[in-house]
Amino acid sequence: MSYVAIKGGKAAIDGAAAVTEFLRGRDDSGEPLNLSAIECQLRLLTSRVVSEGGLYHPRLASLAIKQFQGDTLEAAFALRAYRSTKPRLLATPVQNSTNMRCIRRISSAFKDIPGGQMLGPNYDFTLRLLRFDLADEDPNEFRSIARKFLGALPEADLPDSFPKVLDALRAEGLLPPVAESRNEPFDITREPLVFPVPRSAALATMARAETGSLLAMAYSNMRGYGDVHPTVAELRVGYIPVMVPHPVTGEPMEAGEVLVTECEVVAMYESGKADCLPTFTLGYGACFGHNEVKAISMAILDRSLQKGMQDGPENPSEDPEFVLLHVDGVDSMGFASHYKMPHYVTFQSDMDRLRTTQGKARAADQASQMEVV
Amino acid sequence: MIDIPRQEWATALSALPTKEVKAAAESFESCCHVQDVILPQSGLGLLTLRDGAFHEAFHLGELPVARAHVVLRTQDGQESSGGAVLIDDRATLARAIAILDGVIAGRLPGWETAAALVERGYSARAAKFAERKHILASTRVDFSLLGQVDEEDGDE
Repeated sequence: MSYVAIKGGKAAIDGAAAVTEFLRGRDDSGEPLNLSAIECQLRLLTSRVVSEGGLYHPRLASLAIKQFQGDTLEAAFALRAYRSTKPRLLATPVQNSTNMRCIRRISSAFKDIPGGQMLGPNYDFTLRLLRFDLADEDPNEFRSIARKFLGALPEADLPDSFPKVLDALRAEGLLPPVAESRNEPFDITREPLVFPVPRSAALATMARAETGSLLAMAYSNMRGYGDVHPTVAELRVGYIPVMVPHPVTGEPMEAGEVLVTECEVVAMYESGKADCLPTFTLGYGACFGHNEVKAISMAILDRSLQKGMQDGPENPSEDPEFVLLHVDGVDSMGFASHYKMPHYVTFQSDMDRLRTTQGKARAADQASQMEVV
Repeated sequence: MIDIPRQEWATALSALPTKEVKAAAESFESCCHVQDVILPQSGLGLLTLRDGAFHEAFHLGELPVARAHVVLRTQDGQESSGGAVLIDDRATLARAIAILDGVIAGRLPGWETAAALVERGYSARAAKFAERKHILASTRVDFSLLGQVDEEDGDE
């Protein structure tokens, strides 16, 4: 592939930037979006950008959403670009999501799970009918929403964290043992994916994958190009406290907390190795922010990829190379978008070859007609 | 006395308005010598998580991180070390919190003021945690009602 340097487009490019900004500023309300409004009122959009950008910085994600006028792919790209300008100061010790401060916790495997099921914020039981009252919302009413909600509730006596559903199944011997590997996890920001890759590389790649891409791959498995048949043992959304060594004492200290969505699925059971009883198979998904479709899709793909790595892939969603190289939003958007760039030289070459081929075909046709005559 | 463990001082102080925390740290800087053990830094941290299925470690993504480590010396020779690591990109805030951390840990003169700030921040965090528990409590599913009626489960 070759490109040619173009001169003469600078004024047009500057004009394009001005026009794009003009369309943003043409808002009749006269009010620029403030970042807090984006972060809170469009929290699921912000969640998507922090996870696909691979950087938990909700405020900068909100800025990127504002700057790129709601384009999640461009916003994630901007977050990735920002992170590339920053030094890496540390890698945290391994954090345990059992410590998650949940705001939502459900299971489709059991009604009664230790600690109980709490629906938290979701649209699962909401009719998908437009609420026209939001179109012209009264600011005073809006400001009173949080106050009314908190005022109406008695003191809640609940624990800070909850046990995992999988722990109970594992205690009963229904799950495979935990991994014995204690290898350093794969760092996808520093090392290229060269297949075969360890599971930690697959998990990290899917954690920052584009939601729609991940969903499409998982959906192919659900619809028939695969046989994971998952049951959601637990889906939780909440804040994981990030513990790091204190610079003076070396003891763990809390540096802050991170909103995470996590999904653990139990899939069809399989025969164990020699002398082992059959156990359920498992899949795991997690991502920054609140994004349940992504976490569920990732958990299904984690299971399908394990199967593909073990027995060889039988369908696309079991093929690590196929899945992991096609789910990154920034990568795939970049490749798709690059087709908009000038390809004048390559296309000229394509036209030359086509003309030559047509000429040869015509000549051959004429020659064969001459032979017939 | 301060009952809040040191591991929570930094997040408690982070819950307060930044100006207030920085002002408190500056007031201590004016009465004791503060030396940076490492220059305050801001950058990124890689978040390593244990997967819930097989307990394997993997990297979930990156976080903004600011950190500082200081030594404080009073005019009468008392010395204390303070440090902070925050999920934040403001190195100046990390340094201010490291100073307050050192002041409280070493019980340097005026430490009670810093401890009071920590307690106030702790209360602010407790209010946030209470909000989350309200979210959970108000959406808790009561399956006991299911047993009172003769109906099939909603399973597929």
